[in-house]
Amino acid sequence: MDLFLQQIINGLTTGSIYCLVALGLTLVYGVMHLPNFAHGSLYMMGAFITLTLIKSSGLNYWLAMLASAVALAAIGIAAERLVFHPLRNAPHANNLIAAVGLLLFLEGLAHVIWGPEFWQLPTPYDRVVQFLGLTITQQRLFIVAATLVLLAGLYLFLKKTLVGASIEAMSQDRKGASLVGIKVSRVSMLTFAIATGLAAVAASLAGPINLVYPSMGHIVILKAFVIIVLGGMGSLPGAVLGGYILGLAESMGATYISMAYKDLIAFAILVLILSLRPTGLLSGGVK
Amino acid sequence: MLRMIDVSVNYGHFRALKKISLEVNEGEMVALLGANGAGKSTIFQTISGLIKPAGGAIEFMGKRIDGLPPDQIVRLGVSQCPEGRHLFPQMSVYKNLILGAYVRSADRKGTAETLQEIYKLFPILEEKKNDPAGSLSGGQQQMLAIGRALMSRPRLLLLDEPSLGLSPLVTKEVFRVVKEINRAGTMVLLAEQNANVALRLVGRGYVIENGEIVLEDSSRGLLSNAQVKKAYIGA
Repeated sequence: MDLFLQQIINGLTTGSIYCLVALGLTLVYGVMHLPNFAHGSLYMMGAFITLTLIKSSGLNYWLAMLASAVALAAIGIAAERLVFHPLRNAPHANNLIAAVGLLLFLEGLAHVIWGPEFWQLPTPYDRVVQFLGLTITQQRLFIVAATLVLLAGLYLFLKKTLVGASIEAMSQDRKGASLVGIKVSRVSMLTFAIATGLAAVAASLAGPINLVYPSMGHIVILKAFVIIVLGGMGSLPGAVLGGYILGLAESMGATYISMAYKDLIAFAILVLILSLRPTGLLSGGVK
Repeated sequence: MLRMIDVSVNYGHFRALKKISLEVNEGEMVALLGANGAGKSTIFQTISGLIKPAGGAIEFMGKRIDGLPPDQIVRLGVSQCPEGRHLFPQMSVYKNLILGAYVRSADRKGTAETLQEIYKLFPILEEKKNDPAGSLSGGQQQMLAIGRALMSRPRLLLLDEPSLGLSPLVTKEVFRVVKEINRAGTMVLLAEQNANVALRLVGRGYVIENGEIVLEDSSRGLLSNAQVKKAYIGA
């Protein structure tokens, strides 16, 4: 029983990280119809920027994470302007190729700046707490709590503000949004900024329990794609649900089936759900 | 007033609009008649700034608007209710209307007033204000689309095929309100395939074929025109 509860906690931790990454991916897909393959590299950049700020300038973990989110939001806007905006009227394949190009560029850049080594992100929450007979590191609790706060914030922003509504409007009907006077390029930039900012926070949260290295985004982005296909492309509740389903399934599978097959579970679930519900669990957002 | 002067539009090598010239004067309601694919929606998209013309000029209230981005054209007072409605299906009726006032969102008081006016025009929208737009019937969605377009308080309303897919009874109701909107001082440019209904509503009309204006006359003249009768009224 203890083992089971322990795995629930672990699953919620991983699920939280997945959630934050998948939310950004699905937001960008919903608004711009762009499957951004570079999202995982942006996640990696977020981790390295936080790491650098902590190591070189001794910045506090919180401030470093915040600064990294802001930096990534700026990088996200730059990517939208320099890479995707010029291709807005080009054939769809060009966008996909550009996204892969951005992925390779960012990864190469990380190799040049930080080298190929593995790093661990230091955290002030490295102690262990005993809770209901379970042993949990503070960082894991912090990850789950921070994610819940971010989810609530994002929800309020999208549902209660006009700017948030303009993002939703554009993902539900692009032409309708233009005709009421919503500026398409402004919403695109904002969406990118939110998505990459969330990725930076996710990476900074995961950094202390996973490792930081230039190709750390690969497996994360693959799983994020599984999640948004699972949840329904463009659906935000779907991304959250899919993130936690995957996180829990992985930790359970790793414990009760086999550690070696942990990463396989994501794809087994994908095949299973898509054969039962080809449009994903909660399809919506994008028509 | 709106004025299009020799406006041409290309889709790649295909010339979709050939030197279109038309005008809508203060207080007028004008019909744009033509079959599917004649170019009516292209004219609307060009006026709204979604398509850039290859040549010619568009003026609104004496100001050149061709080349302006869509949001600025809405700000200047040209609002479009597009064919197919293009509502935000998962948002509530209320939120769709509020987004219609996006360009004047700073004017909260004015927006609230306009909202009440829209509810008065289409009481069903107030009744269903918390329902998602996608759950409404076709006629109600059309009313919502018109209501949303009016939320920006336009001086010119571009109304693209509002009767498409509606029952004759609902069409009548929608057009009654359009007439009311026009009487209150809003210019209306109405694109319709259903010439019989449209011409009973407007003062003048243009007939479009293959991206060209082939005929321009008062509605009485068009209704008695043998060609128009044959092609668009079927009598």
